[in-house]
Amino acid sequence: MARVVFKNVEKEFVDGNKETFIAVKESNFTIEDKEFVVFVGPSGCGKTTSLRMIAGLEKQTRGDIMIGDRVVNKLHPKDRDIAMVFQDYALYPHMTIRENLSFGLKNLKQPKDVIAKKVKDASEVLGLDHLLDRKPKELSGGQRQRVAVGRAIVRDPQVFLFDEPLSNLDAKLRVQMRVELAELHKRLEATIVYVTHDQIEAMTLGQRIVVMNKGQIQQVASPTDLYQKPENMFVAGFIGSPPMNFIDVIYEHGKVTMEGAQFELPEHCAHALRAYEGKKLVLGIRPEHLFGEDITMGVPDTYALTSTVQVVEQLGSENLVYFRVGERMVTAKLHPDSDARVGQMKKFLLDMSKVHFFDVETEKRIPMKFMSA
Amino acid sequence: MQSKGKIAVLGVSITMLVMWGIITIIPLYWMIIGSFQDSYADASMKISMWPEVWSFEPFSRFFDKTMAWRWLLNSLIVSSILTVTNVFFASLAGYAFAKLHFPGRNAIFWILLMTMMIPTQVTLIPLYILVIDVFNLKDSYMGLILPSIVSVGNIFLMKQYMSTLPTSLIHAARIDACSEFGIFYKIILPMAKPGLSVLAIFSFVFHWNDFFWPLLVTESEAMRTIQVGLAGFKFADTTDFGAIMAGATVASLPMIILFFALQRYFLQGITIGAVKG
Repeated sequence: MARVVFKNVEKEFVDGNKETFIAVKESNFTIEDKEFVVFVGPSGCGKTTSLRMIAGLEKQTRGDIMIGDRVVNKLHPKDRDIAMVFQDYALYPHMTIRENLSFGLKNLKQPKDVIAKKVKDASEVLGLDHLLDRKPKELSGGQRQRVAVGRAIVRDPQVFLFDEPLSNLDAKLRVQMRVELAELHKRLEATIVYVTHDQIEAMTLGQRIVVMNKGQIQQVASPTDLYQKPENMFVAGFIGSPPMNFIDVIYEHGKVTMEGAQFELPEHCAHALRAYEGKKLVLGIRPEHLFGEDITMGVPDTYALTSTVQVVEQLGSENLVYFRVGERMVTAKLHPDSDARVGQMKKFLLDMSKVHFFDVETEKRIPMKFMSA
Repeated sequence: MQSKGKIAVLGVSITMLVMWGIITIIPLYWMIIGSFQDSYADASMKISMWPEVWSFEPFSRFFDKTMAWRWLLNSLIVSSILTVTNVFFASLAGYAFAKLHFPGRNAIFWILLMTMMIPTQVTLIPLYILVIDVFNLKDSYMGLILPSIVSVGNIFLMKQYMSTLPTSLIHAARIDACSEFGIFYKIILPMAKPGLSVLAIFSFVFHWNDFFWPLLVTESEAMRTIQVGLAGFKFADTTDFGAIMAGATVASLPMIILFFALQRYFLQGITIGAVKG
């Protein structure tokens, strides 16, 4: 297995009108040996382009890509020692599963007995041994997905690349395959680069996550760090479901004022915000860090705001309660026994140890030195 | 009301299809029936819809009094070779235009498409001069074959067809260490069988039926194709309809055989893209 390094990598596309579109902007990161790294972001953010550049299916406009100790800029995909699993599986429809699995090895002129052993081993690991003589069209979505993974495993590559491999599966199968992929990573101890637009997939699979938006890396961090210490409003809003709430506030003399509430900030917050005296800020709080006054879960009622409940979604395990603060719609994830009703004027408590403040202009998070988060 | 409306639409559709079917079948029926009536022998020069006397004489006359076997062989050679060359070159070019990125790809494709807008009659004389005077290929197989080894129409057809094949398969094969020609040969061609079959049938039928170019470049009776031979099948003062019908029936046999042999692919090919994959 091997490291993957991006050094100042950029990718530009020229469209039909000869206009340049930057798909990936000055990208720098290192994926460590045996690490499972997930690229996540909305459509068109450059995550798949980054993956395709590692694979050699797309050539970067600038910068260097290294796999192991080699700069692979000019290497053909077959010479990069990588294997890729595609979103649509990309199984050869006219070949049997056995032929699909062995195709790459045959092209690499490996001996027949080696090919047979590798195909047997991979098919056993993935539970495909009884399907080897079938064609892809005779398999279910989950089985096809396993074949696509098997085709990568038999190659025994330095780096595995996954391009949204679960997006064509139904929700139940996706959860099952997610667990299987995590187990597979443990077993293979492989370097895996995985692309998805699904943040739950990213959070559950990735040891580290690269969050991208508009071609730019927003943050590279562990799932916990992304959740607890988002670098900016994009990451804060993208990671977490439902997303983080943003409330416009004004900071003055240690107090924040928002529509319907004003309260004095704890010392550590006030200290961190002293440079923003009299300025507008954005307060960020996750839905799970807002509590109703009926079930407070031990959160003091010092920091509270009052608003009329607009919508209540009862999900069984929790109630999602929507209310307005100024122009913004805010979501609270309340206990399922919460008494929230539509039209009710309700007091919501904020867990101030989990609150973030963002600069309005740069949208970056203002670090709180003594925050537990 | 709605179901009555649907039944009415269905009724009209079936009636129109049956009428269209009859219109299509009548000439074929007449050709086949005509080939078993010896109108030349009884000097009636009439072909009825059902023969009073069944006769194989027209077939005998067709094969005995002409170089029919040679014409059929010529047609078979020319059509087969042109089918192979068209399928080979059009699929290669279609794949390149659909899936490979190279400088000038769009410009070259547009230039090719523009050539389709020039009527054949306009290019016929320069082509004739080129083949006959410059290359000196009169009355030869090369003269019959060379100008048609691949047509722009077929390249266009294959380009459109290849565009429907998933690009991810090509990428997967590239990562699987397959060479560029290997990708074409091992991945693309097997998947393109329905498209290739349609192209093969169209090509074979077109070149089997082609009349004008073979008429221009062939001189000796031995180099004629079946269509040119049939057209010249007249006696001094009369036309032997029975023998012509027999010839036409024989000439249509390879096309019918080809269609039924490739019917499965043909039907797949013409419906591809019509349903969501």
